[in-house]
Amino acid sequence: MKRLLKLRTSTAALIIVACACALAIPIVIAAAPTVSVQEVSEGLTCQCGCGLTVANCNHPNCEFSVPVRDQIAGMLGRGMSGAQVIAYFRGKYGEKILSAPTTQGFNLLAWVMPFAAIAAGGALVAFTVGRWRSSSSAPSSPGSPVSGANASVENFDPELRRRLERELSDRI
Amino acid sequence: MSLIGQLALALALVLAAYSIIANVVGARASIPSLTSSARHALWAMCAMVTVAVGALLTSLLHSDFSLEYVASYTSYSLPTIYKITALWGGQQGSLLFWTWLLTIFTSIVAFQNRRRNLEIAPYALAVLAGLAIFFLGMLNFVTRPFDLLAVIPNDGQDLNPLLQNYWMAIHPPSLYTGYVSASVPFAFGAAALMAGRLDDSWIRSTRRWAIFSWFFLTLGNMFGARWAYEVLGWGGYWAWDPVENAAFMPWLVMTAYLHSVMIQERKDMLKVWNLVLIGMAFGLTLFGTFITRSGVISSVHSFTQSGLGPYFLTFLITVTVLYTGLLLSRVKQLRTPAEFESYLSREAAFLFNNLVLVGIAFAVFWGTLFPVLSEAVRGVKITVGPPFFDKVNAPLALALIFLMGVGPLIAWRRSSFDSLAKTFAAPALFGITTGGCAFIAGLREWYVLTALSLAAFVIGTIVVEFRRGVSARRHMVAESVPAAMVNLIAKNNRRYGGYVIHLGVVLAFTGIVASAFFKTEVKKSVKQGDTFQVGAYDLEYLGLETSETPHVETVRARVEVRLNGKPIAMMEPAKLFYKRLQQPATAVAIRSTPAADLYVVLAGIDDQSGLATFQVFLTPLVFWLWAGGLIMALGTVIVMWPNVRERAVIAAAVRAPAPFEDDVQAVPGGD
Repeated sequence: MKRLLKLRTSTAALIIVACACALAIPIVIAAAPTVSVQEVSEGLTCQCGCGLTVANCNHPNCEFSVPVRDQIAGMLGRGMSGAQVIAYFRGKYGEKILSAPTTQGFNLLAWVMPFAAIAAGGALVAFTVGRWRSSSSAPSSPGSPVSGANASVENFDPELRRRLERELSDRI
Repeated sequence: MSLIGQLALALALVLAAYSIIANVVGARASIPSLTSSARHALWAMCAMVTVAVGALLTSLLHSDFSLEYVASYTSYSLPTIYKITALWGGQQGSLLFWTWLLTIFTSIVAFQNRRRNLEIAPYALAVLAGLAIFFLGMLNFVTRPFDLLAVIPNDGQDLNPLLQNYWMAIHPPSLYTGYVSASVPFAFGAAALMAGRLDDSWIRSTRRWAIFSWFFLTLGNMFGARWAYEVLGWGGYWAWDPVENAAFMPWLVMTAYLHSVMIQERKDMLKVWNLVLIGMAFGLTLFGTFITRSGVISSVHSFTQSGLGPYFLTFLITVTVLYTGLLLSRVKQLRTPAEFESYLSREAAFLFNNLVLVGIAFAVFWGTLFPVLSEAVRGVKITVGPPFFDKVNAPLALALIFLMGVGPLIAWRRSSFDSLAKTFAAPALFGITTGGCAFIAGLREWYVLTALSLAAFVIGTIVVEFRRGVSARRHMVAESVPAAMVNLIAKNNRRYGGYVIHLGVVLAFTGIVASAFFKTEVKKSVKQGDTFQVGAYDLEYLGLETSETPHVETVRARVEVRLNGKPIAMMEPAKLFYKRLQQPATAVAIRSTPAADLYVVLAGIDDQSGLATFQVFLTPLVFWLWAGGLIMALGTVIVMWPNVRERAVIAAAVRAPAPFEDDVQAVPGGD
């Protein structure tokens, strides 16, 4: 029965970890609405060779990021949404301008893999811990630290008590 | 100088090779004189590399442009401090610097273990010498710092302007120290596997080295972030650039390792996992070096790209294969009966902490390499930038902060729900109240609300622990609260230093979340005398000032900052022009307060219209990122500080040296 209970706990932990990971995926890949120039330009990679986003390009007077930021400001000012602006630049420069993988096709792997790995790791931890718990010794003996919670200090062996006091004064 | 340097490096290589053979043969055949000779060879190797470093530094300081390296990275007009930092500003010099650190640490390890750890120390020293051979081989045959130019130029090409910053004087040495010192616990782990000495003596012997490495990785990452904040001029500090990621991953794995070894020290479990973690941490330091130098992935931090990638990749693969093979060959012996009673235990919290830390490291690794994978599979090289890393890591960071609050307070073996409720009631209430107050105050971003609540929860747990310890001390010894606090930390520095580190992490995390969500940006082109508003501040552009040195021309704007009509600061953002390289650069002006940073960039000057363009960022709470970093450093110093009991243990070890006596015993139950 206890074994069954332990198994159930392991399974429950496993399911919780898996569900948490499964729930996290749509949350993190859901695109947040972008509104400011800063947010939209963080979605685009600068093409000057700096390797940073249009928002973060560190080249003073960069020939790419500076006009693109101004262009984004103009497009947002004309009422375009962040997604529309990004779609425009993607159409113009191709996928390489996006600063994050899309959520389609092979690129989906980029988003799913970290959570899949953590879910697998969580499953491994739950499985291993379940095995350890099964193989752990039966309930602690009356003198063990855990079951000794009910025992009063007065009932301790005098030598143990002296040691406890010594350790306490040493440690705190 | 060239000849001295070359000769010293060649001798160092020979000494490293001799040391490997002498260490291994001496240990296998139990010939103490041979292992002693190997130790002396390692000290001589360190001396030789020091001579080489001295030779290169002398050449840099004397602007000896006959050396290709000196001509490539310095100029006559370069300030002296940057002539010194040019030592690690270029490919060959940085490799030499790395090798120097490695040989210094190897020498210290040889000295520390001259009379103890006699079974595994020779193997560990052989591993360290093996690593030195790779780097010395590169310096002798592939990327030579002492190569001469056929024609000596009149002046050097100068150092990259982005590297001419005081943070660059301390960021690379800190990071390299963190990277290289991770070699020591790795070498001892490998040595334990080679010698078949599979208890936790290798962990105890290198605990301080692991913390030392973590300390410098923390500082290295913080200094790098601060450098980016002050130099790159975009108002941020972290761009998830591949080189930043490469520095962050070993930090994550080393953090996991430092938590995981506590379980092995306490319960003799997770032996394989700890060896895997230290192998991963070390492998990731090599991976970082590979990324920085290979040019496989473009990076804003790669100032030393070269054709060294294949060498580093081969070395990384070789080390990984050998270490994995060694580990697999000992797996059966490493298995020990595990005692694990409940998911409601500190062991479980540490396991999940490891899962999340390694999970974040994997997510960062995966995102860093995905462009290469995409190009290989689809033929399209995409970019994986901040939006990816932010979204993937955001929920994991919350989980980690939660575990940081739970782990230290939950009991070993098992806890009951009752005791948990009692322990966590106050911190949980504090967290919920903080989140509730923020909500009432108008905050609606669920992530920020959760992060704030969790941060408050963790701070609550730390306060509860200190309060508990202080009242226990005052109960036993009559002392004032400050005295009890100081003595509590002094007597159990490992535990309470850990709490200080956690406090630093939480504060840094709060700074990161607030600055990521609430940063505002204003870009304005104004004429002299015009005022514009950024948040609650009024900024008046007063005009330009120019100055010039033989090295750089500076155009500085003067901007008066007023709050509620009262002048509070004069900020002077500037544009620099480096004459030798004919390159412009930006010098930002930052006014930092605990509430927010005002960050002003002089983005452009139009001489014809007289307009100056300013880009201004108002970033709330970013101050706490840097303060958190300092507190983490302080906590680590507390953890590493030897306490009275440790000194007694060390004294006992010196009096009665035994083959596997620890240099520092772990404090039982200390964490």
